[in-house]
Amino acid sequence: MASPRIAAENVIREFLGRIKKDPASPLDAPLYADGVGLDSLETAELSALLEDEFGSDPFSSADELPQTLAEVLDHYGAAVEAEAV
Amino acid sequence: MADYDPAAHYDRVTRAWALLMGDDLHYGYFEDPAEPVATASDRLTSLMIEHADLAPGLRVLDVGCGSGGPASRLVAEHDVDLLGITTSAVGVDTARGRFAALDLSGRFEQRDGTDTGLPDASFDRVWVLEASHLMPDREALIREAARVLAPGGRLVLCDIIRRREIGFLELRERREEFAVLRAAFGAARMDPLSAYAEHAARHGLTVDVETDISAETRPTFAAWRANAERHHDAVVDLIGADELDVFVRSLAILEGLWDDKTLGYGIFSARRAG
Ligand SMILES: C[S@@+](CC[C@H](N)C(=O)[O-])C[C@H]1O[C@@H](n2cnc3c(N)ncnc32)[C@H](O)[C@@H]1O
Repeated sequence: MASPRIAAENVIREFLGRIKKDPASPLDAPLYADGVGLDSLETAELSALLEDEFGSDPFSSADELPQTLAEVLDHYGAAVEAEAV
Repeated sequence: MADYDPAAHYDRVTRAWALLMGDDLHYGYFEDPAEPVATASDRLTSLMIEHADLAPGLRVLDVGCGSGGPASRLVAEHDVDLLGITTSAVGVDTARGRFAALDLSGRFEQRDGTDTGLPDASFDRVWVLEASHLMPDREALIREAARVLAPGGRLVLCDIIRRREIGFLELRERREEFAVLRAAFGAARMDPLSAYAEHAARHGLTVDVETDISAETRPTFAAWRANAERHHDAVVDLIGADELDVFVRSLAILEGLWDDKTLGYGIFSARRAG
């Protein structure tokens, strides 16, 4: 089963595709203007979607909004370093 | 769809919106809530004209000129030298067609109001009627207006405004209402009148009018609703029942947002030192 972090990433990328943003946006791209380009309503929609799917989301539970995709994913668990083969 | 024709689609949408909103694609300024919407939307244009302080031969830049409705009054009644710009190619064609049919002279070009590519100090008036909410980079619009204005020139603008802060959690709570507005009118961002004034001051303009006309524009929604009922079948033929339904739902939402003082309407003008 996918980790919550990977499941959240899939949900977010699917959402980005649906709202005509780049679903392949890099993890460190800013979420808002000059980056992924989410406006405030799209951010609110993503926040609600993540809460529906995972029971909590980093937009409504933190004092400050996350600024990158990676910061959103950190809410669902630490990144696992890819193992060198 | 292979045979999808954006121009034909735009034409149907424009005809539907004309049935719903009247020939001018903007709100009305009502002195009496029962008066026809055409009278009230014409009055909003008149109010802008008053603030613009027009005279024959003045060079006027109409930013977000739509299909050239207000522009035709500026030229027919005030004999100004007009350039209308919009990001819509079909809008440019429609406005040119309107001017040709009325035998008026004016130019229409496809340009972005936030980055016009027009020379510095080349206009006496910059006119922005209900178009700024569609330009997310609001400061770029005002900076560009200030740049193209000649000394002594004047910027006049009216639009839907935000009258209070909407916090993230409230936006999230009310996201369905705002999603209906986005479906009906496209992605938009509303700013307080004070934000326009701050941008203007930062770019060397002196603000002389900043008026909230939310109450006077409030009857617009009831007038549009009455049009939606009156022209129901024709509008459904043009844009379909779903789009009409979204439009009608948006009206009650806007009335709510006007009544709880979240959104409203403002008019603003500023002058460049001469
Ligand atoms: C609600 S209509 C108003 C049209 C017209 N001023 C009127 O009152 O009938 C908004 C207009 O702004 C134009 N527009 C949107 N974004 C723009 C931009 N960045 N630069 C120039 N025009 C833009 C649209 O194409 C449309 O013509």
